[in-house]
Order: sequence, then structure tokens, then C-alpha cells
Amino acid sequence: MSQQGSVRKRKDASVVGKSKEPAATGIAAPRDPDLDALIKANLEVKSPDVEWDYRIAITVITLLAFVTRFWGISHPNEVVFDEVHFGKFASYYLERTYFFDVHPPFGKLLFALMGWFVGYDGHFHFENIGDSYIDNKVPYVAFRAMPALMGALTVPVVFDIMWESGYTLPACILSAFLVLFDNAHIGQTRLILLDATLVFAMACSLLCYIKFYKLRHDPFGRKWWKWLLLTGFSLSCVISTKYVGVFSFVTIGSAVAIDLWDLLNVKRRQGALSLPEFGKHFAARAVGLIIIPFFFYLFWFQVHFAILSRSGPGDDFMSPEFQETLSDNVMTANAVTINYFDSIQIKHKETHGYLHSHPDRYPLRYDDGRVSSQGQQVTGYPYADANNHWQILPLQAGDEVPGRHVKNNEIVRLRHIVTNTILLSHDVASPYYPTNQEFTTVSVEDALTDRFNDTLFEIRIENGKPGQELKSLSGQFKLIHNPSKVAMWTHTTPLPDWAYKQQEINGNKNLGQSSNIWFVDEIPSIPKDSPRLEKQERKVKSLPFLQKWFELQRAMFYHNNALTSSHPYASEPFMWPFLLRGVSFWTQNDTKQQIYFLGNPIGWWLASSLLAVYAGILAADQLSLRRGVDALDERSRARLYNSTGFFFLAWATHYLPFYLMGRQLFLHHYLPAHLASALVTGALLEFIFNVEPILDEATIKAQKKLTGTKKHLPARQKIVGQSLLASWAALGVITAIIIGGWYFFLPLTYGYPGLTVPQVNARKWLGYDLHFAK
Amino acid sequence: MAKPAKSGSPAPAKVSQSTASPTIIRKHEDYTSEGVEDYDVFLLPGSDYQAMLAVTVLATIVRLFRIYQPSSVVFDEVHFGGFASKYIKGKFFMDVHPPLAKLLITLAGWLAGFDGEFDFKDIGKDYLEPGVPYVAMRMLPAICGILLVPTMFLTLKAAGCRTMTAVMGSCLIVFENGLLTQARLILLDSPLMIMTAFTGLAFTSFTNQHEQGPSKAFQPTWWFWLAMTGLGLGATASIKWVGFFTIAWVGSLTILQLWVLLGDVKTVTPRLFAKHLVARIFCLIVIPITFYMAMFGIHFICLVNPGDGDGFMSSEFQATLNSKAMQDVPVDVAFGSRVSIRHHNTQGGYLHSHNLMYPTGSKQQQITLYPHKDENNLWLLENMTQPLDISGEPINGSLAWDALPSPEFIKDGDTLKLYHLTTHRRLHSHDVRPPVTEADWQNEVSAYGYEGFEGDANDFFRVEIIKKMSDGEEAKKRLRTIETKFRLIHVMTGCVLFSHKVKLPEWASEQQEVTCAKGGTLPNSVWYVEQNEHPQLGETAEKVNYKNPGFFGKFWELQKVMWHTNAGLVESHAWDSRPPSWPILRRGINFWGKDNRQIYLIGNPIVWWSSTLAVAVFAVFKGIAVLRWQRGFRDYNNPIFKRFDYEIGTMVLAWAFHYFPFYLMQRQLFLHHYFPALYFAVMALCQVYDYVTARVPGIGLRENPIFGRLGAIVFLALTAVVFTIYSPLAYGNPWTQSACKQAKLFETWDWDCNTFLHDYSQYSTQSINANADVHKTDSPLIPTNAPVAPAGGQAAQQPLIQDHHGISEAPPPVVSEPPVALPVGQSILSREEKVEYRDQDGNLLDPEQVKALEGKVSFKTRYETRTRLVDAQGNEIPQPDGAGVAPPHPDVDGVDSSTLGKPEPESQDAPVAQKEVRADESKEESIAKSDKGAAKPASEGNEATGV
Repeated sequence: MSQQGSVRKRKDASVVGKSKEPAATGIAAPRDPDLDALIKANLEVKSPDVEWDYRIAITVITLLAFVTRFWGISHPNEVVFDEVHFGKFASYYLERTYFFDVHPPFGKLLFALMGWFVGYDGHFHFENIGDSYIDNKVPYVAFRAMPALMGALTVPVVFDIMWESGYTLPACILSAFLVLFDNAHIGQTRLILLDATLVFAMACSLLCYIKFYKLRHDPFGRKWWKWLLLTGFSLSCVISTKYVGVFSFVTIGSAVAIDLWDLLNVKRRQGALSLPEFGKHFAARAVGLIIIPFFFYLFWFQVHFAILSRSGPGDDFMSPEFQETLSDNVMTANAVTINYFDSIQIKHKETHGYLHSHPDRYPLRYDDGRVSSQGQQVTGYPYADANNHWQILPLQAGDEVPGRHVKNNEIVRLRHIVTNTILLSHDVASPYYPTNQEFTTVSVEDALTDRFNDTLFEIRIENGKPGQELKSLSGQFKLIHNPSKVAMWTHTTPLPDWAYKQQEINGNKNLGQSSNIWFVDEIPSIPKDSPRLEKQERKVKSLPFLQKWFELQRAMFYHNNALTSSHPYASEPFMWPFLLRGVSFWTQNDTKQQIYFLGNPIGWWLASSLLAVYAGILAADQLSLRRGVDALDERSRARLYNSTGFFFLAWATHYLPFYLMGRQLFLHHYLPAHLASALVTGALLEFIFNVEPILDEATIKAQKKLTGTKKHLPARQKIVGQSLLASWAALGVITAIIIGGWYFFLPLTYGYPGLTVPQVNARKWLGYDLHFAK
Repeated sequence: MAKPAKSGSPAPAKVSQSTASPTIIRKHEDYTSEGVEDYDVFLLPGSDYQAMLAVTVLATIVRLFRIYQPSSVVFDEVHFGGFASKYIKGKFFMDVHPPLAKLLITLAGWLAGFDGEFDFKDIGKDYLEPGVPYVAMRMLPAICGILLVPTMFLTLKAAGCRTMTAVMGSCLIVFENGLLTQARLILLDSPLMIMTAFTGLAFTSFTNQHEQGPSKAFQPTWWFWLAMTGLGLGATASIKWVGFFTIAWVGSLTILQLWVLLGDVKTVTPRLFAKHLVARIFCLIVIPITFYMAMFGIHFICLVNPGDGDGFMSSEFQATLNSKAMQDVPVDVAFGSRVSIRHHNTQGGYLHSHNLMYPTGSKQQQITLYPHKDENNLWLLENMTQPLDISGEPINGSLAWDALPSPEFIKDGDTLKLYHLTTHRRLHSHDVRPPVTEADWQNEVSAYGYEGFEGDANDFFRVEIIKKMSDGEEAKKRLRTIETKFRLIHVMTGCVLFSHKVKLPEWASEQQEVTCAKGGTLPNSVWYVEQNEHPQLGETAEKVNYKNPGFFGKFWELQKVMWHTNAGLVESHAWDSRPPSWPILRRGINFWGKDNRQIYLIGNPIVWWSSTLAVAVFAVFKGIAVLRWQRGFRDYNNPIFKRFDYEIGTMVLAWAFHYFPFYLMQRQLFLHHYFPALYFAVMALCQVYDYVTARVPGIGLRENPIFGRLGAIVFLALTAVVFTIYSPLAYGNPWTQSACKQAKLFETWDWDCNTFLHDYSQYSTQSINANADVHKTDSPLIPTNAPVAPAGGQAAQQPLIQDHHGISEAPPPVVSEPPVALPVGQSILSREEKVEYRDQDGNLLDPEQVKALEGKVSFKTRYETRTRLVDAQGNEIPQPDGAGVAPPHPDVDGVDSSTLGKPEPESQDAPVAQKEVRADESKEESIAKSDKGAAKPASEGNEATGV
């Protein structure tokens, strides 16, 4: 760098205040207090510098994004992949019937809103992939337009992130192009899926945080608060769409933690913060990034509950109390209060087996040599049968008025009607579980005399109040053996042949388990025309919001963890950066058309390899520093560690945690991380092609002599003198290849035209399992 | 992103600074640490050795006290004793732990004359009567447990503590009930502990040498301890895989040390740095790996015979075992070859048929998978059309190909008929649902025809070679024995011959089901030819056999199987616990109970809680120190402060490495998994004590050592008293109910006080009640969960009658009356088989009704398959044969891989009932179906509904 260059720099420094955004240096912003003051003083001055080149670029890119996302959006006019789920949920919202899903409601509510806008009534339930939208008159284009809109807007947001971070135009364009011409982003955002919302909100949260961070020299100002709250809101949208949104919290959270850690530093360049001041910073971020987003999150659930007021397919997932808040719920509608001397069928809630007995007895000796009581077998049996009928008897049979209701915590006895025996449990090990008590029956005579105590059972209604009446269906209870305090329990391992492979029933000492719950399924002794079966008009009850939310939240986490089944197109996280395989979304045999969800391999490989390059640069820099060799100039290093480091952090936090997840994973889980890797790629383009140190040591010394302090300049202005030719050339080459790859795989993304066999085979790059290859 | 890069001292420098590895030193010009002296344990004064000897003697007394008691099998002795007998007999077994400790136990037993004839089958099984040298076998863990005490002593000395502290630390180990309990029984944890501790000693000594700077580097002591660290790591990892946590600890500290070295620009030249690096790579990577693999080498040398672990391993692996090896067979398969066809993905065995009919479906002859060699496995491969003779006339008969001038090899895409030689029927499939898997996408496979029948179109199967899995160029083009993996596609329906781990009912001797599955690429549809014979392929024909995988092949395969089995141990166990409960000692493990005595693994609460407290105190200290450092306080300039931070930090790091990774493990965990972490926590506790009483100036304790001594004595006395209180649970000594109830501070310490008698005097008079009539449910002997099935498909499918060759197993169905029709009170004690007739509502019909209906309606017979469990892989979960036979402590041996993912009965939080079985079945279906290639939604929302 010549002396002239530095002269020009100093000139630039004098006009720094005029720039539109004084901190447009991105993350590597100046830290001098005097400069800060200068900037603050100039904040109000409107800048004429509007950076037309960037504006033109972002406009063009936005237009391209809309074209690529909306092109042929009406094709295919059939249900594709997970539209099965999310289209269905939108219909449920529109029909207001309660459903259950493991994802939070925000993304689905957006679809429902869209459906509501176009006046759709939700009659179609998206049952199978390949169902026709035309025949069923579904406004699917409107539904798909919503994610496509989000997907298209993601691209300018990516551009803006790079712009705000102060990268040169080629770098900004490259990052935006990597997302713009990416088949995976296009493919995923043209369909009724949640990922478009997720990725868009995630990108917005990065952008908002960068904007917020750039205002750090003006803390607690109006704009500062604005961007802080917007960051919080974007984060809230991410997590309210899918729970993987928690990774965005980790990204922003880590950045905030590092920022706070620096604020705590006494040797901070702007001077040490006092602890109360620090506390204020801390509290502001906690409120803006945690508390307020949480309330937004809760708000979507409130909307969810408010809309879904009718009984629907999700009822079974909820407790009876919850179901009572839904109108026309079958379970509560058909509940009948149980009287003593009714004969009832008792069903196990988890395995759906009935409490059953038959005249066969337990074998004297089990295979392992243990000995049974040789009593009558009591088993669980999954089908309706007269042997499932038990008469419920009160403690004292003599002085009972008929028609008395069975209440919570009352002691009852159960008579097996067919064999006229009484249910009993005693301290004998059950066939399979030496620690659990055997269940058997004894004759009525015995039950009245010496075995009396062992036949007593307590009805303990789940979440029941004292004195609550036991109802069929809705009354879920545990049957606790009164003397020994074990709960009647069953499991799915079938007994050997001597019990016809029916379920074992035994007494479980662990009373707390939810698998101890039974309910009365039917009361066969009530005649069909009995007044007891008449249904009264039922009031829909209400529950406090938080109680409903807690219950739903628990159920969602439980079922999310249970999603471990395999899927033919599921993939492992290590496959994603290399794009080893995609997902088949839709196929049509007649036209040989297919949608195969796949990224643009060239773009992905480029982005992934540059991640490795980035890690390598950092490691090399650290090692050489450790050996006392300083190879980078200060500005490049600051930029590399702070700005690019932030993007890299975003990639890592959106990617690495998937390794810890046991559930089914798909390629589309990588999309947020891919977006972050595109940002890193853009940043590295600038780093690699502008390696020329901006200020060599001589200049710095000269500057120091002149001014006594280093001048800090916005990044872009520092390289004003540098030729960006190399960057532009590199961008041109990379763009050409990316667009080529994008175009090549486009038929698989848009689902048309159908490809011939050689064409399909040409696209089976890494053994992508495409259809119609033969 | 916010951190400004400080030129020259970027982020990691902070870290190294904060952990006080001294990078900026005033006294030293090199990487020598400030405030470090030479604590070489070989140079201790004689009095220290005397003290060490004293504690060792104490430990010996405490560990060996009544080691013969109890004289029956306790807890996991079932497994490890069992492995010893398998080693002695050389029978191959599969276990999730590496072999070193088991080999040592075997060695101890073998030296004492154990012949391997005792099977250690049940907890509580008597040792005395069969004359098992169990005391000798228990001596090995006991010696390891004793050695743990001097190791703790030396490690504390090597860390620079005073003798008083070292004695205190080693006594805490002596009086640790949990370590004692483990060290008195044939278990792996005691060897694991001593090796972990030894590694800790070696690495502490090495660190001490390293920190003394360049003058000590590459000296004999330096080399010795570095090599010992490597050896210790190898040994630890060869006992249990938990040893990898130790490796992680040593590894991360080594990287830190190298980082320090790298920063010493003055004395460490790049050449010297390379030397440091290479020395560490050799000692800490090469030595442990070599040691680990050597252990497996011995393992393979010992286990040469087939055993119950075979089922886990591939056919290639099994072929290396004695008597499982097979003769070389001709490699080329031609029309007219007699072959046996083996299923590739399951260990179910060979495609098999026998002269018994399906009771359902087509009622044609059964096709099964049979695990043993048998002439019913032999099939003759016929071409679709009969060959022509010279005059152009077809030669009839199945043996027609034998007469041809030259054998015609079978190529990819050829269509075959498979002729079953003993029953003269051909493999056949049609649109009938199979007997067990009654899914739409499955067709029944049967054997159909008679002698002389030329077959029909439903007998045609097309060979499709799977090129990726076939070995060699030739094998990709035509059918070759073993080398070629292929599918058989039924020409008429397009389905593929398929088998899975679903067993047929008793009428087929519980052999594995074979079906024809519609759809493309299922791993369960891959087959290969194992036996091959053709009259025209003489002695000189090219032969083939299973490839010998070699040591590395076997080693690697075993590692993979161990890993998968280990990860699959997710069933809950009656005594398992999760990591958060360990540091607070929430609950223990019930090991054994008999004759009113009990062994229950519980730690010494004083030791556990105080060590946890020490870790917590250090964590708080560290947090404050780092905050103060960021706020500009110069604490780290004080060498004592810095050394405290670094030395205790090292041990707390070891604690963290041995504790937190368990949070990530889904498999079942037990209290004893905390022992290595506990050891390091005790070490941290002692070091904290040492600093407070002897090194930190200004609080008055350093100046008055009497207080430190007094404190240690009081603390030790307290520990010893508490130890005595709980010792009956460790030794299996007599105890009284009242003493027990007093000692039971928390409900979660769930040993059963009712086991004990009311008075000690009763123990001397009690009669041993060995054969109680009825098993009381309180018996804690056998943990609750369903018993583990024996390993592998083969073990589960032993033929019922071994020498029954002609027909492999199928009892004639016995029809008996349905139970409803029985008069009340009558009981049937045993019954082999029955057919129930039900109407459309599932109600049982009695025989009269059935008779009346006969002829008017067709009966669909269902066998009791409704409660069948299928796991996520589509494998059937075997019924627990012999409940309670194997104590299901699954830490060890082979849970059959088919029990993976079994729905867990204990799940506490299940808010909703699920039809698990049906859901699983539909899952299996969807997996299989999806291969049709149609797109399928991710199971995101919908699947959870389970309906």
C-alpha cells in the first residue's frame, strides 16, 4: 500500500460521519471512545451515501428469488410429502377440530390464516401423497404461496445480513446466490411445509441481531431497543415454528454471552462498565431475548386453544379434564356413572387389554422352578368377551341400596361373573415378575371368610377429588390392592401357552406409573333403554390456560422423543454437508415426473469445503500466533474472528446438535445450517481475494506519528482503493458453476419435466436414489 | 462474535491463563511451572512408605474380611462367572465389555482349579456344593480393591500433598462401602477402578515431571510415567469402555501441555516440539491401541469353539470357530445344482421345507428358515424350461441337467424353479397372506407339487444379483457360492423372497417365517448359496469358502457388534438410576438377598457427600475467580492461587469427564458407573483439604498443623463409624431390623429392612429355609424386568429334538375345547395347542355351535399372534422363555438385538395410551412398503396419533 493510499484513507476518515450508517463497518467496528463520540455526534446527520450498487443488486436478487420460488408453483396438483401433515393441520384449524402435533403452532397457524383468507373450509384432509387437489377443490396454490413468499424473502435477508456486516458487493452477492440458486431451499419452500417459515425467521433473527449489535455504541437508545426486541421476536417465531428453533437461541445466546463477557472486561477499550451498568445491559437482553419471546410463544398456544374448540382427532392424547373443554367430545358425552352391582368391562389404558379371567389355573411350577398359588388365571385379553365382565361389589354387600354410585377412594370387590369368583391379589410372585404380586380369583365362600382382606381393592381416580363419582370412559383410575398397596398392572409380553398367550396381570409395587391406569370401557349390565344412558346437555368446561399448555407441552415432548421409527429416506447428520442423499417427495408414474428433495450439490460442496477452510485458517493463525508469528493484519483478523466467526457459530449451533438427537432426521434439517454456511462462504470470498493487508506496518507507524492514534474506518471504505476485480472474477466463475448445477437438477426440484432414463441416471451423482432410473 | 481480537493474545490464551498453566512466568524463562517441586513417588522418605504399608494392611483386612461370604452367586457374578467358565471351555460368547478383566478373573479361577463346569446361572445359586473356587475368583477384584488404596496414597503424594492428607485420602477409599462391595465380588468394576487410578497416578506423576521444565524432559522418570500412562489407558479401556473417558481426560490435558510447550518460543525449538509430540503420540496413542488389540487377540485365542455368542456374528466370523467351519464348496452354481440357500440379514439360517402343511392360508407345505444344516435345506435349481437333448426333444425330470454335456451356469436375470429334493415340491408363492405377518404387502410362500409334476408359473423365481454386495467380477455376473448375494423375485407377482425375525407358531417348531414381500430393496430379502453340489463339477472344480476375516476383520466386527449391543441396552432395570442421582447417593443396587441377609450396593454417604461438596466448592471458586480475572483482579499472579486452581481443576476435570458423558447415554445406567468419578472427586476433596490446612497462608491453619491433623482424624473417625453402620449391607452380615431402619435415612435407599431378623441371636439359630414353597414377591433376587432372551436367533431356535432328521419338528396340532365350555372349577394344567373358533365379534363358539356351522361358513383359523410384539426393526421380540432364568442385568451379555426398542413398561410420563403393538406393526409395514419407492411423509405429526 502506497503512501498515497493512506493519505486517501485519512481523507476518508474525515468524511466518516457522512456515511449512512456510521457503524457500517460490521462487526469489526471501531472501538475508540473518541471515534464513538464522533459517530454519536454525527448520528443525526443524514447521509447522502445510499450505496446504489447494493440497492440495485438486492432488488434484482429479490426479483429472481420470487421468480424461482413461484415458477410453476401449481405443479404438482397433488399432495406432496409432508403436505400430508401440514395441509391436514390447516384443515383442522379451519374446521376448528382439536388435533395433536409435536410442532408448536405458529407455522401451522400461518397456513390456516392463508386458508382462511381465501375462504377455504378445510373439508379436505390430505390423507395420502398423490391425492389430487383439483378433484378435491383445495386452494393449494394459496397455501403454497405462503411458504414461497417466505422462501423468496429469505434471499434478500441473506443479502442484507452480508450488507449490514459490511462485506463487499461480490461477497454479498455470492452468499445470496448460494441460497437463491439452491434447489433444496427452492424445493422446500414451494410446498406446504414449515421449513420456509423456520429458515426465514432464523435468517431474520441473525439480521436483527447484527443490526442490534451495530448499535452497541448507543446502548438503550430507541433503535437499540427496536432491534433488540425484533431479534427477540424473530427468535420467538423460529421456536414457535419448530423446536429446532432452539438452536437459533443458542446462536444468539452465545453471541450475547460473549458480548456480555466483553462488557464485563475492565480493560475494555471504551472503559470499564460499573456493575450496575452491566446489570442493566444484562437485564435488557434477558427481557428482550428470553422473557418477551417466551410470551410470544405462549401467545401462539393461546391462539391455538382458542381456535380448536371442538373435539377432533387429537382428543385421545389429552387427559379427560382437557377433553371436557372441547365441545362434542365423545368420551365425556358417553360417560356413564357407575353404580354398585353393575357389571363392567375394565380396559387397560396403555395396552387396551381387558381384565379377563377363565377357569384355567396357573401352573404349579413355572419353567424357572418358582411355584405359583395355582389359583384361577387372571389375564389381559384384547377382545370383547363375556369373560371380561366383572361385577363391582361394595365392601359390605348386605346393607346396600341399589343404585349407589361408586366413588373415588372407595373400597370395592370385583366378582367375575362367568366363574362366580372374586378377584384377589396376594403375596405370591406373578408368572413373569418375581417382584410383582400374582392376581387370581377365589370362590365367593373363601372371599367372605379367610381371604376377605385380600379381595379388597381401592378405586383411585387419576387426579380425582375425594368423593368424585367413577364414570365409564372418562374416569381413569388405578386399582390398588388394599392390604398390600400394589396397583393392578399389565404389560404386552404374552404369557406362555398355558394362558393362551394372553397378557399377564400382576400387582405393581410402583404405584406412580402411568401404565397402572385402567378405565371402565362398557357397562354391559345396563339395558339399552335405561334412563342412565340418556345424555344430558353437557356444558363445555374450561381450564386455565397454563394448565392446558403444560399438559400439551408435556405430551408434545413425550411424543417427539418417541419419533424414532425409521423412514426410507431418513439420513444421518454427517451426510448433510456432503449432500450424500436426498428425499423423494413425490412421483408420478405416467409422466415419469418426480420431486426429489436435494440441494444444489455444487453450492453445498463449495459451502462445506469453505467451512473446513475457515477452520483451517483459524487453526493456522492460532498456531502461528502461539509461535510468535503474526501473519494477519488486525482488521482482517478482527473480521475473521468476529463477523465470520459469528456465521460459523451459527452454522455449528444449527448443525452439530443434530448428532445428539435420536429421532428421525432428514436433509431439510440442514437448511438453516446451510444458510449460515452460505454466509461464511461469502465472507471467505472477500477474505481470500482481498488478502492484501490494508495497512502495512510502515503506514500504521506513520499514522500513529501523525495522529497519535489509529484511525478506524468502515470496512468498505478501507478497501475503496483496492481493486475488487479478483473478487468479481471469482464471483463470476462460481456463479456460473452454481447456476449450472442448479439448472441441471431443476427438473427434480420443480417436478417437471419428466426425465428419460439416461437423464435420470446422469443425475444420480452420489447414488442419489432417484426413481425411473430403469 | 463480540470479542475484539486482541492482537497477539487471542481467546485461547485466556483459557490457558485462566487454568493457570503458566505461560507468562517471571522466574522461569521456559515452560516450567511456577511453584512446582519434584514429587517423584520413588523418592519419598521411608516414613511415607511405612504409612502407605499401614493403610494397605488396613485395606487388606477390610477387603478380605469374610470374603467367602456369601457362598452363592451374587448379582452380576452370574455374567462374569459365566464368562469365566466359557473362557475355560473356549465357547464363543458376546459381551459388551472388552476382555481384560474377564480374562484375569478366568485366570484366577483357572489357577485355583476351576474347570468351567459351573454355569453361574442364577443369583443365589450355591457355590459350595459344586465346589467352585469362588474365593479365588473373588480374590482378583479384592486385590485390585486393596491396591486402590496405596494408589490413592501415591497419587496424592505425586500431586504434592502431605502424608497426612495422603493417609486421609487412602482411608476414605478403605472405608467406602460401595467400592468395598464391588471389590468383594466377581465384578469388573474393581479392576476398572485400579486401572483408572493407576492411570491417574501415572499421569499425575508425568505432569509433575513435565511441569518441572526442560531439565526433566525425556529423562527416564519422564519416559517411565508417560509410558505407564499409556499402558494404564490401554488397560482401562480394555476393561470397560468407560476407559475412553479417562483417555479423553488425559488427552485434553496433554493438548493443554502441548499448547504450553508451543508457546515457549525460547527453549522449545520446532524440532524439540516435534519430539515432544511424537513421544506423546507413541505413548498415549500407539501403546494403548496395541494393548487393547492384544487383549482381543488373547480373547480370540481363548474362544475357539462355537457358543451362544455366535448368533451375533457374521457367517464369515462363525466359520472361524471350530466345527463351524465348512468344507470348501464348488464356486459355480449351475442348473441342476443342489444348493442350500442362506438368509443374509438375519441369523435365521437356511431356506427350508418339510413335510408339514400350513394350517392356514393355502394349507400347502411349509417353507421356513431353519438354523441348522439338514438335508431338508437342499434345493435343486431347475431352469424355467427343460433342457433339450441332441435331437431337440426336452429331457424330462428334475435331474435332467445332470446329463447335459456341460453345466450351464446361472446368470443374473435367469428364471429358476427351486425343487425341494426330499419332498419333491417346488418353492411356490401366490396371493395368499402368510400365516403370521398378515399384511397386504406380504404373500405366502409354500412348497407345492408332487413327484413328476412339472410345476406351474407360480414356481418361477428370477435371480437378481445385488452387484454392490457381491464379491468379485464373476460373482456380479453369475451366481457363485457365497460370493454372490442375490434376491429371488417371484415372476408372477413381482414380490421378493423375504424372511424376518418373526417366528412361526409351534406348528412349525418356531422356525423363522419366510414370505414373499412386494416392493424393492429390502435388506431382509438378500440370500446367498452356502452349500453347492453338482454332479458335473468334480473334484477339480474351483472351490470357495468363507473368507477368513483375519484378526483385524474379526476385531472390527466384534467392536461394531459390541457397540450396537451396548447402545441397545435401553430396557429399564429395577435397580437402574440416572446420573443426576449419583453424586447425592440417592439409591443403590440390590445385589443379593438370602437367608435374612442382604447385599446392597450403597456408598459411604460421608465420602460421597463431602466429595460432591468439594467439587461444588471448586466450581464456585472457579466461577468467582474467572469473574474477578475479567474484572482485572490479579489473583493469578499468586502462585499458590494458581496452583490451587490448576491442580484441583485437573481432578475436577477428571471427575467431569467421568461423569457428564453419562448424561448423553440412553442405555441403562447404575450407581456403580459413578465410581471412577467418585475416585477423582475424593482426590479433589483431599487436595482442597491439603491446601486449606497446609498451603494457603493467612488463615492460621498452615501455621498450626495440629488443627489439620485433628480435623483429618475427626473426619476419618466419622467416616469409619458410618462405614461400620452400613457394613452389614456390604459384607452380607447379619443385621437387625431395628438397626436397619435406623440406618435407612431416606426412603429412596430401598433395601428391604424386613429381610433381616429382629435379633442377632436369631441368626445363629435360624434354620436355612432353602426351598420355600412359594416365592414371595419381596424377593429381590431377580430384578423385575422381563428376562433377557438368549443371544441371537440361533440360540433361540434350537431344534427341539436334535437327531430328528427327516422332518424338522412340528407336533401334530391337538385340538381341544375352548375354555369357556369347561365346567366351572375344572382346570387344565397343560395343553399343547388349541384352535379357538370365534364369531365375527370375537366371541368364542363352543364345539356344538362350530359343528352346526361347519360347511356353511369357512373358518379362518387364527393363531395367537395378536399380542405379538414387533420392534422398530421389524424383529419380533421373543417371548421370554424361562422367565427369570437369566438375571437380566443387561450390562453384560447379549440382549438379543431383537429386543431393541422394546416398548418400555416403566415410562413414567406417558401421558397417552398408545397401541404400541399396532403402531409397531404398522411401522414395520411402512418400512417395507415404502420400498415400493413411493414417497412417504416423514413421521412428524401423524405417526404420534398411533391410530
